[in-house]
Amino acid sequence: MLFKLSMSGLKSKLKDYLVLLVGLVISVSIFYLFQTLALNRAFIEANSVISQIQFVFHAGSVLLAIITFFYILYANSFLLSLRQKEFGMYMMLGAKKRKITVLMFIETIVIGFVSLIIGIALGIGLSQVIGQLLMKELEFTAGGYHAFYVPSIVVTCIFFLVLFMLSAILNSIKLSRVSVLQLVHSDVQAENSFVKGKKTFGIAFLSIILLAIGYAAMLNMATLQQLGIIISLVTTTSGTYLLFMSVLPLIIKKLKANKKRFEKGINAFTFAQLNFRINSLTKVLATVAMLVALGAGAISVGMAFKNNVMIMVEGFNTYDVVTHNPTAEEKNILADIKFDEKYEYHYKVDDQFVYYTKEDLEKQRPIIQTFQDEKSFRKKEKVTGELPVGSIVGLEDQQSGLAVPEEWAFALDTIQPYYLYPDHKIKIIDQKMFGDVKGKEGIAIIGKSDDFQAYMMEWKKIDELQQKKYGNDTNMYSKYRSYQDMYGFASGTIFMGFFLGIAFLAMMASCLMFKILSGATKDISRYQMLRKIGVRSTLLTKSIYKELFLVFLFPAIVGIIHVLVGMEMFSFILIAPYFRVWLPIVIFTVIYASYYCITVQLYKGIVFPKTN
Amino acid sequence: MKTQVVDVKNVKKFYGKKGENQSIALNGVSFSIHEGEFVGIMGPSGSGKTTLLNVISTLDHATDGVVQIAGTDITIMKQDQLSDFRSQKLGFIFQDFNLLDNLSIYENIALPLSLQGVPSREIGPKVKKVAETLGISAILSKYPSEVSGGQKQRCAAARALVHEPAIILGDEPTGALDSKNAASLLEAMTNLNDEQGVSIMMVTHDPLSASYCRRILFIQDGELYKEIHRTSTRDAFYKEILDVLAGLGTQKA
Repeated sequence: MLFKLSMSGLKSKLKDYLVLLVGLVISVSIFYLFQTLALNRAFIEANSVISQIQFVFHAGSVLLAIITFFYILYANSFLLSLRQKEFGMYMMLGAKKRKITVLMFIETIVIGFVSLIIGIALGIGLSQVIGQLLMKELEFTAGGYHAFYVPSIVVTCIFFLVLFMLSAILNSIKLSRVSVLQLVHSDVQAENSFVKGKKTFGIAFLSIILLAIGYAAMLNMATLQQLGIIISLVTTTSGTYLLFMSVLPLIIKKLKANKKRFEKGINAFTFAQLNFRINSLTKVLATVAMLVALGAGAISVGMAFKNNVMIMVEGFNTYDVVTHNPTAEEKNILADIKFDEKYEYHYKVDDQFVYYTKEDLEKQRPIIQTFQDEKSFRKKEKVTGELPVGSIVGLEDQQSGLAVPEEWAFALDTIQPYYLYPDHKIKIIDQKMFGDVKGKEGIAIIGKSDDFQAYMMEWKKIDELQQKKYGNDTNMYSKYRSYQDMYGFASGTIFMGFFLGIAFLAMMASCLMFKILSGATKDISRYQMLRKIGVRSTLLTKSIYKELFLVFLFPAIVGIIHVLVGMEMFSFILIAPYFRVWLPIVIFTVIYASYYCITVQLYKGIVFPKTN
Repeated sequence: MKTQVVDVKNVKKFYGKKGENQSIALNGVSFSIHEGEFVGIMGPSGSGKTTLLNVISTLDHATDGVVQIAGTDITIMKQDQLSDFRSQKLGFIFQDFNLLDNLSIYENIALPLSLQGVPSREIGPKVKKVAETLGISAILSKYPSEVSGGQKQRCAAARALVHEPAIILGDEPTGALDSKNAASLLEAMTNLNDEQGVSIMMVTHDPLSASYCRRILFIQDGELYKEIHRTSTRDAFYKEILDVLAGLGTQKA
């Protein structure tokens, strides 16, 4: 009988349960998603340029487990709060406490079970879709990634069953501790627990120290290695949680303390809402901040690896295309490309030398890498200096004065690739001498387009045509090939970065939305009251926008700072980890902003009555 | 003759769509309240007294008729205008207090002033003054959950008063209070009415509460049934009210 009753109670709060279930399902599926990568050891080791990738994934698993743990605990305490009043009423009517406790236990387990099954199904679907989409988008075709991955299913099941069991026990204990009266009046009890001054400052101080240690560890990752990952993981995570628990209420209090601002219009209510809510929000916001850091971080790393490909390629090859004696077909393709710089050099080949003219080269000075120490890797300049007539590239004998200056030698390396005439040396002569040389005449073309990546198809075709022209045995080399090699090398890591980024962002979204929407029912009467005393609905809407904006703002700021510091970790493997870092952050901001708008709309839908 | 604060002319309110099962909540009610009056509205459950209050307080639209408050016809106003009108001209005291539990008592009382853009330095003195009148100066820094029901209702009254509205509307203001607290609230309201000339309209079903009023309108089945004025002592008025209620009862039976 009691069971039947409780089922009907469940039906009456279907909307809240739906919010709860969606939250749980998403956390299960994201966990699964992560594990399909983390447990697939062969795949990640084969496809990553980071040697300790396995360890990184282990650390990530631990972090995700911690976050999920808090999330599930919160979700279940929400479940309890949904049922408290009703259970209190049953008890008042004579139901035994033990029975109610059992009921609560069963309910938690059942909901956990249902969300586990749906979550894994969704997780398989998601990893299939995201995996396929990303592989297609990144032209990454490594096999070995399985969306349906049994070890991942097993681990997810065990992890969540334990979690749900734990929270079921916790819920039951909580329920058995409170009195009937407390239960019946549970919805009128204000959650007004204010932090004490001195203690808060202590915690805030501690959190900042922890974060400083974490950041220091990230900045010195190269020396600390695995230890660094562990240290930064532990300190950054705990520091973030403590920071939110101590500093955030203080900030809100400070905002509230400004009387002039506080007593202006609806601000009093907005800040009171925030202040009222912030204590229950701190842990969730810290979780969100961590997820922001992980999500935006993973995407940034993915993009940084992607950018790194181009940086490396540009570093090795200044000119996008180098071709000799282009065929008609090649010329056609070249004609369609917009070049920033394009030079043609005439040369002649006899049985000993390849001859270039001083005039030709000095008139069209190509760009070279200035020098190759690490910092000036990408620094480029046009060749300066004179080119002595009669000089020869690669001549050992410097004294004879016949060696080509070093800068020019670099330039000629590009113009006359080694593979064309492996047994010839290059000799510089003047125009008059050039006319006298007997030999096969040729033309060398080098070009730099306005955007290398925009003409991928063209480079590919030219590459193929050249290979055909030079013959299959020629060990050809081109910028396009270098790009392909680099990209193939990095694409596994890019894939993992994007994949995890998407997963974490989804989890973050559900976490925030869940928290805010789960509290919304309690706010209905507040907004109703404000409307009654004559607050314009536009003003109420403004208040909601403002309040939720602040709620969304804090974790985003902390998360982004984490990302910006954390990117430094990759400086040992990436040339410029911060190159274009604004791009993933802008992408993230756009996604985050749309979450914000959606949450505001959903929230408005709950707290405002339907207009007829 | 004092000016009219509320003027209700032939107000009708039907629920449900036309042609279908329409239920009639108000069927042509007309009356007016003058400045400085303390009027009670009584009637059995379902008589339409709450609907009447909702219509006057602009929370609900009348199907037909004209409602003027402080010379403004509220039946032709738009939603936002109504909101502004409520916040400037009306003060509310509800049965369940309707205080915001996340604001302190002080902040609750200050809210209507903040909403009207009163400068911060003027808010403090006003709140303190009204709190003194209602005897709640000592609890201003507390939160609603920390004070008693009677204190909450005084706070609600203070909030209703602080912006000096044209009229205070009470919806069973003593409904959730014990007799002692109810009496002290009603005395406070009477004082406001007597000494500061605040106009009050109060819906109640409690004869004892109603006996504090100067005039009582009885409503039955959506129509004005009877109107009585207090001419002598409160006790005598109380008996008079009981008589009318008894009459209402027998007529029904």
